[in-house]
Amino acid sequence: MKDRPATIYVVDDDDGVRASIRLLLKSVGLPATPMASAKEFLAAFDPAQPGCLVLDIRMPGMSGLELQQQLNVRGAILPVLFITGHGDVPMAVEAMQHGAFDFLQKPFRDQDLIDRIQKALARDRETRAVSKQHDQVRARLATLTQREQQVLQLLTQGKQNKVMAAELRLSQRTVEIHRAHVMEKMGAGSLAHLVRMVLDISGR
Amino acid sequence: MSVQQIQAVMDAAVDAVVLFDLTGRVEAVNRALERMFGWPAQQLCGGNVRQLMPEPERSAHDGCIAKLLRTGGLPILARELPALRRDGSTFPAYLSLGQVTGADPSQFIGFIRDLTDRRRGEENARQLNGRLVQVARLATMGEMVAGIAHEINQPLTAIANYARASERFLESPTPDLADVREAVQAVAAEALRAGEIVRRLRRMVRGSAEARQTTTVQALVEELQSVALADARVNHTRLGFHLAPDMPQLFVDRAQVVQLLLNLIHNALESLAQDPASNREILVRGRRTETGDCELSVCDNGPGVAPEILDRMFEPFRSTKPNGTGLGLPMSQTIAQAHNGSVRHQPGLPRGAYFVLTLPPADNQS
Repeated sequence: MKDRPATIYVVDDDDGVRASIRLLLKSVGLPATPMASAKEFLAAFDPAQPGCLVLDIRMPGMSGLELQQQLNVRGAILPVLFITGHGDVPMAVEAMQHGAFDFLQKPFRDQDLIDRIQKALARDRETRAVSKQHDQVRARLATLTQREQQVLQLLTQGKQNKVMAAELRLSQRTVEIHRAHVMEKMGAGSLAHLVRMVLDISGR
Repeated sequence: MSVQQIQAVMDAAVDAVVLFDLTGRVEAVNRALERMFGWPAQQLCGGNVRQLMPEPERSAHDGCIAKLLRTGGLPILARELPALRRDGSTFPAYLSLGQVTGADPSQFIGFIRDLTDRRRGEENARQLNGRLVQVARLATMGEMVAGIAHEINQPLTAIANYARASERFLESPTPDLADVREAVQAVAAEALRAGEIVRRLRRMVRGSAEARQTTTVQALVEELQSVALADARVNHTRLGFHLAPDMPQLFVDRAQVVQLLLNLIHNALESLAQDPASNREILVRGRRTETGDCELSVCDNGPGVAPEILDRMFEPFRSTKPNGTGLGLPMSQTIAQAHNGSVRHQPGLPRGAYFVLTLPPADNQS
């Protein structure tokens, strides 16, 4: 399946700033989706859309910080790059503590904005690739039989075939066959690879 | 009452008590007076009461007694006046003076209270109060400036983005001129928006004509001192004030003019920060010009204004400080002009900066 193209959401209530960022991004060939308010963005929010969010921290109505909290509640992985004013450093610190990707003080150098957006896009690609891998591993796990799942569990605990056979009251030969099926279904090239996959999705 | 009884009554008094006759000859004093003035009773008694007063009260004393007697005496006279200790130091005192009726020759009894502590308390309260008022005012000014800075940053940010975008578009081998045109038009519109914000700022600074009142330069400088001296102390800088005696009255918004002068003093303090603490000096001087205007100058012995910004320091956003708003001197100039005055700069001699605020006298403002 081909990945969807990334877009850069630009949420700023100031028409001039928003439009100028869009044009600036266009000049380096980056696609932007400008939006005038946090509400508008939330209404159109699609978790599957890759990209990043360039967000003004200070806006009437829902502020940038509040939007970030809403996104955190929804478990969004979109990297957020905050644009702050001269005296907004305490707010920027709060945003960073809540997992913002980075922040830029206004007025900023265009190259700084572009560099940070590129980094945010790279981070988003990475996160999405990892999460896609995890989905694959989960899908493969679901194809295992109950017996195979038991064998997998004991394998990841480092148990030898002989020990597993005793615990599951099976012959060593049968355990070996289950084990070969697990490795095949999970697409693992080695025992180490298999253990890594299972540990990754269990968050350890 | 016996002499002993009278002495016992006097000694029980908290205030200093002195009994003297019309020639000023001291008849008796109490313990409190001994402590307050540092004289033993036996050295005062028989001497003249004048030695308890500094000049010019000392020389005026005999005349005062004569006047009292001429006007037929009085039940009680009370006033504040300076008193002189044996060691030559003076202190503020409250004197209540009564005439002993029926005595011949006339006798007077004086009760003296030391006001030093009360004065200190009053002064502290006054300074604290002044400081609080000023801090509150500065906070509002700070918020205002932060708000304006934020607003001006918006068009500036947009202009910078549009300009850089145009540059990138033009770098392409086949530039899309429609994009460039859009950017250039937007730059013009954003520049106008920035101008409108500055105009609003000017109106805001000017729009307080009703806050103006007639005030003396002394009162204004006193208000300034309460804050500026504390700031100078914190910055280990000597700050002196000198006002000519013939300063004209002003018709100004006092808060704004104090703010303006404070701003000039803060600039001076910052420019001195790199100099050794023992050398740092700021002098605030007031004089009346030949044309009758009030001239207040803030003069420091620091490195002076950098030559590259000499021509432009009164323009907005020319700050050379890492955290400057770039609005200090422009706002000072706007406040001065709103009062039909001006702020100008001269290099100090041999070094330093010299900022002069000129304001017309109150009677010229209608």
